[in-house]
Amino acid sequence: MSDAVAEKPKAITSRHDPRFEVTLYKYIGVENSHTLEFYQSHGGYESAKKAITSMKPVDVVEEMKKSGIRGRGGAGFPTGLKWSFMPPVDGRQRYIVCNADESEPGSCKDRYVLEDDPHQLIEGMIIAGYAISATKGVLYIRGEYYLGYERLYKAIQDAKAAGLLGKNLFGTDFEYEIILHRGAGAYICGEESALMNSFEGFRANPRLKPPFPAQAGVYSLPTTVNNVTSLASAVHIIGKGADWFSGMGTDDSKGFHHVQVSGPAKRRGVYEVPMGISYREIIFDLAGGPTEEVKAFIPGGSSCPMFPFTDQYLDMPMEYASVAKAGSMLGTGGIMLIPQNKCMVDALYNVVRFYAHESCGKCTPCREGVSTWLPSMYKKMLAGLGEKGDLELLEDVSSNIRGRSFCPLADACIMPVQASIKHFRPEYEYIIEHGKSMYPRQSRWAD
Amino acid sequence: MKVKVNDVELDLAPGTSAIDAVFAAGYDVPYFCSQEYMSPIGACRMCLAVVGAPRKERDGSWTMDEATGQPKIFYFPNPMATCTTAIMEGMVIDTLSDVTKKAQGGMMEMHLINHPLDCPTCDKGGACELQDRAYEYGSGHSRFIFDKRHNEKHHALSELITLDRERCIHCKRCVRYFEEVPGDEVLDFIERGGHTFIGTVEEGLPSNFSGNITDICPVGALLDTTSRFRGRNWEYDHTRSTSLDDASGSAITIDARTGRIERIKAALNTQVNKNWIDDGTRFGHEYAASSDRIKTPMLRKNGKLEPVTWEEATLFISEKLKKLSDNQLGIALRSDATLEEGVAAKSLAEYLKTGQIDHYPRYASSVISANPASFNDLATAGAIFVMADATEEVPMVDLRIKDALKGVTPPTLMAHGVPIADLRLKERMPRKTNILSVAAPYRVDLMKYAAHSMVYPTGTEVEVLKQIIDASTDAGKALKESLSAAEKAVIVLGAFVLNSAEASKLADDLAKATGAKVMKLGAMANSFGLESQDVLPAKADYSYPNMLSGSAKALIVSGLNPAQNAEVAQALLKLELLVVHDLFENETTALAHVVLPAKSGYEKEGTVVNLEGRYLNVNPAPVDGGQAVDFTGFVKELGDALNERLEGRSVRSARRLLKKSLELDLSELPLEGTIASAKAGKVAGLKTNTSGNALLVPSMVRSEYLNRNAHLFASTGGNALRLHPADAASHNLSAHDVISVSVGGFKRRLSVQPSESVPEGMMLLPALPDQPVGLVQLDLNSIKKEQVALEVA
Repeated sequence: MSDAVAEKPKAITSRHDPRFEVTLYKYIGVENSHTLEFYQSHGGYESAKKAITSMKPVDVVEEMKKSGIRGRGGAGFPTGLKWSFMPPVDGRQRYIVCNADESEPGSCKDRYVLEDDPHQLIEGMIIAGYAISATKGVLYIRGEYYLGYERLYKAIQDAKAAGLLGKNLFGTDFEYEIILHRGAGAYICGEESALMNSFEGFRANPRLKPPFPAQAGVYSLPTTVNNVTSLASAVHIIGKGADWFSGMGTDDSKGFHHVQVSGPAKRRGVYEVPMGISYREIIFDLAGGPTEEVKAFIPGGSSCPMFPFTDQYLDMPMEYASVAKAGSMLGTGGIMLIPQNKCMVDALYNVVRFYAHESCGKCTPCREGVSTWLPSMYKKMLAGLGEKGDLELLEDVSSNIRGRSFCPLADACIMPVQASIKHFRPEYEYIIEHGKSMYPRQSRWAD
Repeated sequence: MKVKVNDVELDLAPGTSAIDAVFAAGYDVPYFCSQEYMSPIGACRMCLAVVGAPRKERDGSWTMDEATGQPKIFYFPNPMATCTTAIMEGMVIDTLSDVTKKAQGGMMEMHLINHPLDCPTCDKGGACELQDRAYEYGSGHSRFIFDKRHNEKHHALSELITLDRERCIHCKRCVRYFEEVPGDEVLDFIERGGHTFIGTVEEGLPSNFSGNITDICPVGALLDTTSRFRGRNWEYDHTRSTSLDDASGSAITIDARTGRIERIKAALNTQVNKNWIDDGTRFGHEYAASSDRIKTPMLRKNGKLEPVTWEEATLFISEKLKKLSDNQLGIALRSDATLEEGVAAKSLAEYLKTGQIDHYPRYASSVISANPASFNDLATAGAIFVMADATEEVPMVDLRIKDALKGVTPPTLMAHGVPIADLRLKERMPRKTNILSVAAPYRVDLMKYAAHSMVYPTGTEVEVLKQIIDASTDAGKALKESLSAAEKAVIVLGAFVLNSAEASKLADDLAKATGAKVMKLGAMANSFGLESQDVLPAKADYSYPNMLSGSAKALIVSGLNPAQNAEVAQALLKLELLVVHDLFENETTALAHVVLPAKSGYEKEGTVVNLEGRYLNVNPAPVDGGQAVDFTGFVKELGDALNERLEGRSVRSARRLLKKSLELDLSELPLEGTIASAKAGKVAGLKTNTSGNALLVPSMVRSEYLNRNAHLFASTGGNALRLHPADAASHNLSAHDVISVSVGGFKRRLSVQPSESVPEGMMLLPALPDQPVGLVQLDLNSIKKEQVALEVA
């Protein structure tokens, strides 16, 4: 390591580090935090003002690039780089789309921003819009988030009334407006191109890429699609500087992330943590540890392959590279604990059913494999009708689906299935051999 | 770009899809969702193959593989759908590896898990892409032991198309077809995941080109209702021919079984119709198999028509002809007669020394343009002005205009033909509606797709054209400028213009002034050919309408039914000889001395010239037509009776004659036909009505045969009288009433269809061969309601 780097203070990688401060989630849960008055009295819209009045759009993009933030929607694509893919300004309408269709099972980080801090998101969208010279923002919010919708609607109205949206923002020529659009409850709309189709009023099928949204997005016009927390983070990256942001996390993954712990933990919930934090710290220190024996955890929402609940995985730093190396993904940061006495086959049936229900039906492996065949096979095993060869068939069909589908939805279903077979094969073998689960399902009401 | 497919190295144009590279190399990959002339979408995932490409270093040099010294090939982590992958320099495609085979086999298995496998009772069996591919790429047995998806087996999407929802494999060809080709979004997927099915929002498939989805469906899910359960594919005789239903010369395949036509499918002609045809052409074949066809010659004996032999009939005719002096016989052919029939008629007229020969319907001006536009000109035009109801006159013009709106030029053919996946095509492409202007005396279908449209008062074509030429209105000025400015501009002229010699002249002037090419929509399939072969009267007084009103003492008519007009029927009674050569008994056969059985357009052999001037072969399907002959056959029989070997006594003889004049061997035309230049004929002499309260309009559905086309009849509700709802109310007519009415002396039976697209004060009804496009007086007092529509609350 060179001296210059060594001189820099060590990056924050733990919530125990006294330098760490909750920023994005600072006012979540505070009374009236969703109002414009509250937001402005707590430094709101200062970053947008700073960006628009004192920075050039390229500088904003550079600042984002420098911060090293990667998309928080799951795929982890560098946000600044994505913004820089927009074609040169040519007079066509350009769009910034906020993907607030948060529907990955195990994820709820966006919800609190939408409900408790809508102005933070609006400010983030203004900054993003300014950076890519888009004068229109599309806020595609999950249909089920009704409170979030109501508060965003009010927030947009208030911001407009206060001159924070509309023409001549902060005394400049820059104009910006936000179109709020409610989804109709399809998981696939979280996929950016399906989201754009849905927004345009078409069936929510993913589109062919290329062209990517930057070339032909909403209405075939240049578009950038970002996640809620990616956009909200822009507020703080611009406000506090890229160096502040990159002062957290590891070389591979900068900044903070929001983990959402669910399952049998003492303090389930959303936590803002620096990147590079260990899963042990999240699960034991923040969430208070498991309330019962746990055999596995999913690191980033239902589509990410699970890890066994062992030291090897618990001590792993939460960063894109390490998690990928271990065979999973950081995803949205939805950490789910799977108790020891729950049947893994049953749990996966639940996951598979979800994806079977949400498959859009466009491509064959997903429509016939994920949506039809897989749930049937699980149902058969759980009904005690498993036969020799069923597990091999399941593995073979899974391999025929994985990496063959049009969009990642089929892979999102297959990866946890394959991981569960890899780590918990005996449970599958048991249910096939004995015709019943190793851990029979308990009554929902038993205590 | 250099590409390697397995062991074959190719040099292909950039932008080519990998699937086309595979086929160009002579290898095969299975596919269901890709379709020629439509966008590739990568939905079926069958065409997966291992694909790799070299990469470049930052300095632009190839990243080298140290072991081989060649550029290192970086393979994509997963097999790629070759239909949506564009080739790259140095790309390597492997379709034979185990990974590729497993991927394709796995996908084949998944295609079949919900497919009912009812091939033994499926109409597609034997010509089914799924069946073929399952045989080639499937494992032969299924590991899917669960219940298959159950759904409707006989869903009538429209009167013409039946959908089997269990057989559907969701390739989306039909859904994409409607949006991309005719631009009518009438079909879509409903539900999602394993429950997905295709369906419509409203009743039926309101499109003029719906039947094409039955051709492109890779399974037996979408079937032509007229041919459902009528035969197996291997039992059909497939005859490639040319449609005689309109002037486009669209290629068709006639499927006949045991002497009966069961189905018409589109055939590929890359220059004309690509692989599409309109619904009138596809479903309008049932009349040819109608049981009341005239199958033998008939002679009137004691006032009654009695079947006789050809010898007896022609002997009778020859005896009568011998008593005539020069120029007393009239010969009239319908305008979809073949070139060979035209030659035969001309040679007969010459032998019998008569100048009274004509083809009908035809217009007051020529249909042969001095600067003719081809379909490809139309499809690549930068500005189009349509002064016609193109959709109804020549539907293919409508479809090819929509190609121009997409702005994608026709693809270059490859070693394996039309590219399977043309990556330039996309779903929901923006259309350049701005290049299209449409003017017609009522709202025509094409106006939906045009940025500029104009409904002018009926009969004011001359004024409209003058406004454009003089640039005296803003719209006229803008149109003239856009036609002049476009690199390639096309003016499409239909019956409304061609019916007036003055308007026609003005339109030609406009074309000259703007440098635009002109496409003239002939009245029928061979209007162009018959005019170019001069099957025209020697002088204006000898035209067909004049023959009927007294210029002829004897008359031979083929395919025409003049006696529908009561006045003409009276005049025909005075003839010394009336010979009718037709398919069915009608008002004219009721008066005829001799009735001769004719061949339908599906049974003829011959040649037609389409509106581009393209010579196209018409080939006979093996159909049981009894003793029916075409006009060349009639000339042969008559020649035998006259003891004369007349020219044009057979198709061969006529072609011998044509070869000399055209320098074109019509028996050796390529499948796509040959364009040869032609000069306009002397067509003067037709008078057209300039006043009337009703307008006879072109119709893609042949109104003369509609009663015998059961399915088309059900789908259209019969020949329609379209009028403005306000007019309907004032005439006390309501929707779906069936009325009989006297129109210009013709008794017409029509179904009332109030429509906002008709201007107030005007009524529209479909033209007949004997009552061609133009104004006509409809006798409102003669309206008699035959059926009153039931009002359903």
